[in-house]
Amino acid sequence: MNVIPQLILNSIIAGSIYSLIAISFSLIYNVTKFFNLAHGVLAIIGGYTVFYFAQILNWNIYIAITFGIVFAGFIGLILDKIIYLPLRRRKASNMILLVASLGIMTALQALLSILFTNEFRTLSRNINEQKIFQLLNGSLTQTQVIIIFVAILITIFIVLLLFKTQFGKAIRAISDDDEVAKIVGINTDKIISYVFFLGSAIAGIAGILMGFDIGIEPTMGLNLLLKGIVAVIIGGIGNVYGSVLGAFVLGFAENFSMWKIAGEWKDAVAFILLIIFLLFKPRGIMNK
Amino acid sequence: MIILEIKNLIKKFEGIYAVNNLSLQFRKGQIIGIIGPNGSGKTTLINLLTGILEIDSGEVIINEGITISKIQPYQVSFFGLTRTFQNVRLFEQMSVLDNILVVLTERNIFASLFERHSEYHYKIAKDILQKVNLWEKRNQLALNLSYGQRKLLEIARALAMKAEIYFFDEPFAGLFAAMREVVFEIIQELKQNGKTIVLVEHDIGLIRNLCDYVFVMDEGKLLAEGKPEEVLEKREVIEAYLGE
Ligand SMILES: Nc1ncnc2c1ncn2[C@@H]1O[C@H](COP(=O)(O)OP(=O)(O)OP(=O)(O)O)[C@@H](O)[C@H]1O
Ligand SMILES: [Mg+2]
Repeated sequence: MNVIPQLILNSIIAGSIYSLIAISFSLIYNVTKFFNLAHGVLAIIGGYTVFYFAQILNWNIYIAITFGIVFAGFIGLILDKIIYLPLRRRKASNMILLVASLGIMTALQALLSILFTNEFRTLSRNINEQKIFQLLNGSLTQTQVIIIFVAILITIFIVLLLFKTQFGKAIRAISDDDEVAKIVGINTDKIISYVFFLGSAIAGIAGILMGFDIGIEPTMGLNLLLKGIVAVIIGGIGNVYGSVLGAFVLGFAENFSMWKIAGEWKDAVAFILLIIFLLFKPRGIMNK
Repeated sequence: MIILEIKNLIKKFEGIYAVNNLSLQFRKGQIIGIIGPNGSGKTTLINLLTGILEIDSGEVIINEGITISKIQPYQVSFFGLTRTFQNVRLFEQMSVLDNILVVLTERNIFASLFERHSEYHYKIAKDILQKVNLWEKRNQLALNLSYGQRKLLEIARALAMKAEIYFFDEPFAGLFAAMREVVFEIIQELKQNGKTIVLVEHDIGLIRNLCDYVFVMDEGKLLAEGKPEEVLEKREVIEAYLGE
C-alpha cells in the first residue's frame, strides 16, 4: 500500500493546527515582543471549556464551542490586564514577562488537572460515527476536514485584518516601534489587550479542534506551544505568512520522518529542525 | 501666551548632566530655535518633553495650566505635542501611505476596529504626501525610501497628527536644496496656521531666516536667549560655537 497520500494528509492536518497556534502566538509576540508561554495552555482551556459545557452540562455543542472560544480569549485578555500590562507599565524586561508567563502556564495547567484530572478527554462523543472522506488514496475524518478549513479561514481573516483594517495598521505600527506608536497617538495598551483576546481565542479554536480530533489532556499545552514557536522561528519571526509556512514545514517534517524512524522521535524532529534553522537560517524562511 | 514652559528641568546620565536645571518658555505661534554645540542637550530636551526619557526633576507646564513632572509617550499627542527624530523613526515595515493613515485612525478604536480607512482619511493623507512629494511613492515600504524621503515622511507623519507644538530635531540635516525648500515651506505654513514650532538646527542661516526666538544651550544649560539677530551676535554664543 502506498502510504504517501496519507502522510501528506496527516502533514496538512498537523500543519493546520500548528499554523493556528503559530499565527496567534506571533500576533501576540509582535506587539509585546515577549514569548508568552501561557499561550499553549489557553488552547487547552478552550478545549476543556467545550468539554465542560457540552459533555458535563450537556449544552448544545455549537453554543459550547462558541463559549469555549470566547472564554479562551477572555482569559488571555484578563492575563494581559492583571499581569502583563502592569509589568509592561513598570518597564519590566522581556525576560521577566517570559518568566511570569511560565508561572501562569504552570498554574493554569495545575488548575486544569485539579478540575478535570489528567485523564485524556475527547470532545466528539461518537467517534465512530464520524464521516470519513477519501481523498487521493488517503482518508480524512470530518473533524480533520474542518481543521483544514478553519486554518485557511483564520489565516485569511488575520491577513485581511492586519493589512486592510485600521486596527491591523495599528497592530503593525506597534510591532514596528511601540514607542513611536504611542507618541503618534495610538492607544497601544488597548490595542494590545484586543490582540491578547484575539490571539487567545484563536489558540482556543486550535485546542477545541484538537479536542475533537485526537483529544486533550492538561499537559498538552506546552508541547503545542513549543511546536507553534518552532513554526514561528523557522518561518521567520514577525511574518504572518512565515508562521503559516513554518507550521506546514514542521507538519510535513514530523510526519514524513515518522515514515522511516520510530514514532518516539516525533517531538525531537521539531527541535532538530529548529536547531538546523537557528544554525543556518536564524532569521527564518521569510526574513532576509 | 506661553504654550509650554519648563522649570528647573534636570536629566543626568551616569553622573553627567545632559540637561542641567534648564528653565525655558515657549510662546504660542512662534518658531523657536534651539541651537548649541554637539552634546549640549538639545535632543535630550525634546526626548524629555515627549516621554522618550524620564525627567529626573523639574516641571513642565502646558498652556499655562497643566503642571506635570512626568510625561508618558501616550500622553504626548493628547497634550498636542508631536515630533520628529534626529535619527528618523518610521514604521519601517509599512507602506508610505500607511505610515500616514495609521496616525489618522479614529481615536475610538473600537468603532473602527474592523473598518477600512474612510475616503476622508485618504484625502488628508494624499494632501500631506503630495506636500512632501511622496504621493507617487505611497505604496513603497518606508524602509525602501532614500534618506531624504525618510526625513520628509517623518515630517509628514507629524503634520498628520494635527498638533499644537511641533518639535523638529534637525529636519534639514543632510537634505538636498529642493527638499530643504519643502521643509522650509512646511514650517512657515505651520506658523501661519498659528502653530508653535521648536526647531533644533545647526545651520545658523536657517535659524536667522526662520526663527522668531532662539535658545542657545551649552552643556545642558541655557547660555543665551532672545531674537536671533541679537543672540547670534553675543560673544559667548560665538565662542560656544567656535570652541574656546
Ligand atoms: N540615552 C543616553 N544615554 C546616555 N547618555 C546620553 C543619552 N542621550 C544623550 N546622552 C548624552 O547626553 C548629552 C547630550 O546629548 P544630546 O543628544 O541631547 O545632545 P545634542 O545637543 O542633541 O547634540 P547633537 O547636536 O550632536 O545632536 C551627551 O553628552 C550625550 O552623550
Ligand atoms: Mg541632537
